[in-house]
Amino acid sequence: MIRIDGVTKSFGKRGEIHAVREVSFMVPDGQITGLLGPNGAGKTTLLRMLATLIVPDAGSASIGGLDVVRERYAVRENIGVLSDARGLYPRLTARENIRYFGTLHGQSGIELEGRIAMLIRTLGLDELADRRTQGFSQGEKMKVAIARALVHDPATVLLDEPTNGLDIMSVRALREQLRQLRGEGKCLLFSSHVMQEVAALCDRIVILGAGQVVAMGTATELIAQSGAATLEDAFVSLLGTGEGLAA
Amino acid sequence: MSSRSTASPPKRVLAVARKELLDTFRDRRTMLVTMLPALIAGPIILLLMFSLIANQIDKVRELKLPTVGKERAPALVAFLERQQVTLTIAPDDYEAKIRGGDVNVVLVVDDKYESDVADGKAGTIRLIYDRSRDRARAAILEVESLLHAYNRQWGSQRLLLRGVAPTVGNPLNIESVDLATPQQSGAIMLFFIAYYGLFAAIMGGMAIALDVTAGERERMSLEPLLMTPAKAWELVTGKWLAVVAFNAAVVIITLTGYYLTLRFAPLPAVGVPFLFSARELAWFLVVLVPLIALLPAVMLFMGARSRTFKEAQASVSLVIFVVSIIPIVQLVQQKKDPDWIAWVPVSGQFSLLGQVLRGESIPLVQIAASFAVPLVLTICVLLLVTRMLSRESILAGK
Repeated sequence: MIRIDGVTKSFGKRGEIHAVREVSFMVPDGQITGLLGPNGAGKTTLLRMLATLIVPDAGSASIGGLDVVRERYAVRENIGVLSDARGLYPRLTARENIRYFGTLHGQSGIELEGRIAMLIRTLGLDELADRRTQGFSQGEKMKVAIARALVHDPATVLLDEPTNGLDIMSVRALREQLRQLRGEGKCLLFSSHVMQEVAALCDRIVILGAGQVVAMGTATELIAQSGAATLEDAFVSLLGTGEGLAA
Repeated sequence: MSSRSTASPPKRVLAVARKELLDTFRDRRTMLVTMLPALIAGPIILLLMFSLIANQIDKVRELKLPTVGKERAPALVAFLERQQVTLTIAPDDYEAKIRGGDVNVVLVVDDKYESDVADGKAGTIRLIYDRSRDRARAAILEVESLLHAYNRQWGSQRLLLRGVAPTVGNPLNIESVDLATPQQSGAIMLFFIAYYGLFAAIMGGMAIALDVTAGERERMSLEPLLMTPAKAWELVTGKWLAVVAFNAAVVIITLTGYYLTLRFAPLPAVGVPFLFSARELAWFLVVLVPLIALLPAVMLFMGARSRTFKEAQASVSLVIFVVSIIPIVQLVQQKKDPDWIAWVPVSGQFSLLGQVLRGESIPLVQIAASFAVPLVLTICVLLLVTRMLSRESILAGK
């Protein structure tokens, strides 16, 4: 369970760039929540605050009851993040990449190796596992990055634009993986600027525009709320025409 | 939420260090450009220096002396030949040849030498040379001293014939006592060994230090790393340990190369028996410890400031230039280093390396002084890097 309460963050020398403004919402366990918004709406900034990388200027957020500022190291033990930056170590094998992060999460021995083997199997990485990640395709790299983010079996998973640069086969594999995690009762927050992506996967949708929550609810609720015919129309009308829409 | 034991900080520090070392050993190009020069520097430089010195010594030993009119002074010829000097007939244009550097020195026996000697006057021997030629200097000195020796010997014999003690004619007995120990000769060679040891400590960790900082940012693996429970200081310490281990390995390999070459290689015997034994090797390592610790920290700092490996290399090359020029300035100054130099990083180490090679004893106080500043600096720089990694702006650059 993620609670976000009045979170605000500005950048720039005098804080003149308001990336996120008084955002509040909750992300329940056992569901996939989509964070939908055009480029520059503040999705990455919001996710980075939840991932404890940056500190909110105002407001508070907690994950599994742990405050993302005061208890940041405890939070890190309980979240898995697939961020925009998913660089791997090209000279290490897929397995070594995953193992490194497992070790940093305090895992070791048979427990860690078993967990890695399980992730490699479910992600279909068997043939690649002991090759260096140097020549991996985007989709293969993404799978390793997911395994790396899940190695410590986190209760909460944050994904920032995970489908960027992936072909349709990889996107489907990713969706499958996320549905499986939902089945395990995890709390999933998934950001995207692609509306179809969110519509296809998410139980609940939070629409972010210019750093603020514009609307939230299920796809049906959003359509009803806007009075539009389709989710796409709902998205456009909720954001207003001034908002650059890159779907 | 699964329960798991939280890793202790030392475990995570070691995990980071181990991973960075594994990553570097897999990087064939870095290994090649770092380790290969370290391996071959010693043998190649020593062979070059030794053959250079051997060459010059041979020139003096096999002294060939072109002469004019040697038939007029058979006793002198016999004396010189006993001293292993090969006498030849000088070419007619010997003055031009001396100016051109083809001939070092020519001995001319004066036309009236025989008659002068028979009349009881001093015979005239002329040495023709060009003192501005460095390479000729050894030969000139050698011939001069041989002639002086002959002069003394002949005079003493005459005095003895007349029943006078030779000391009457030679009241001064000049004894030269050279205070240079065997190690003090070959100063240039000493400079090279000290400089190379220092250089290895400066350069050894560069590639890996930049890869684990700027490289990590460039390939976008820093952000995932910062989202693990590992704290910034644990990451920095682990990375620093890896770079220090690598740096130390490069220094040890470089110095061992010198040691093994001097001990086992069939180097020409040059009569410059300076020492680089196991004792000097050990002292070198002790003296270089502060730099082996400090330089990796500085490189990590430069790397963390840069967004790409290339950017980092550019800023580091400036540091390396400044640091590597310091010993050369010290050498050119030709002054005895003041005692406080031990406190100055790099200069202090270079000065101490020189002392080790000259076989001087090194007071513990000086070692302590040379450790103090670099170790404090190391800690400060590492704290700075930790702060940089904790800052939000580290994520900005891609």
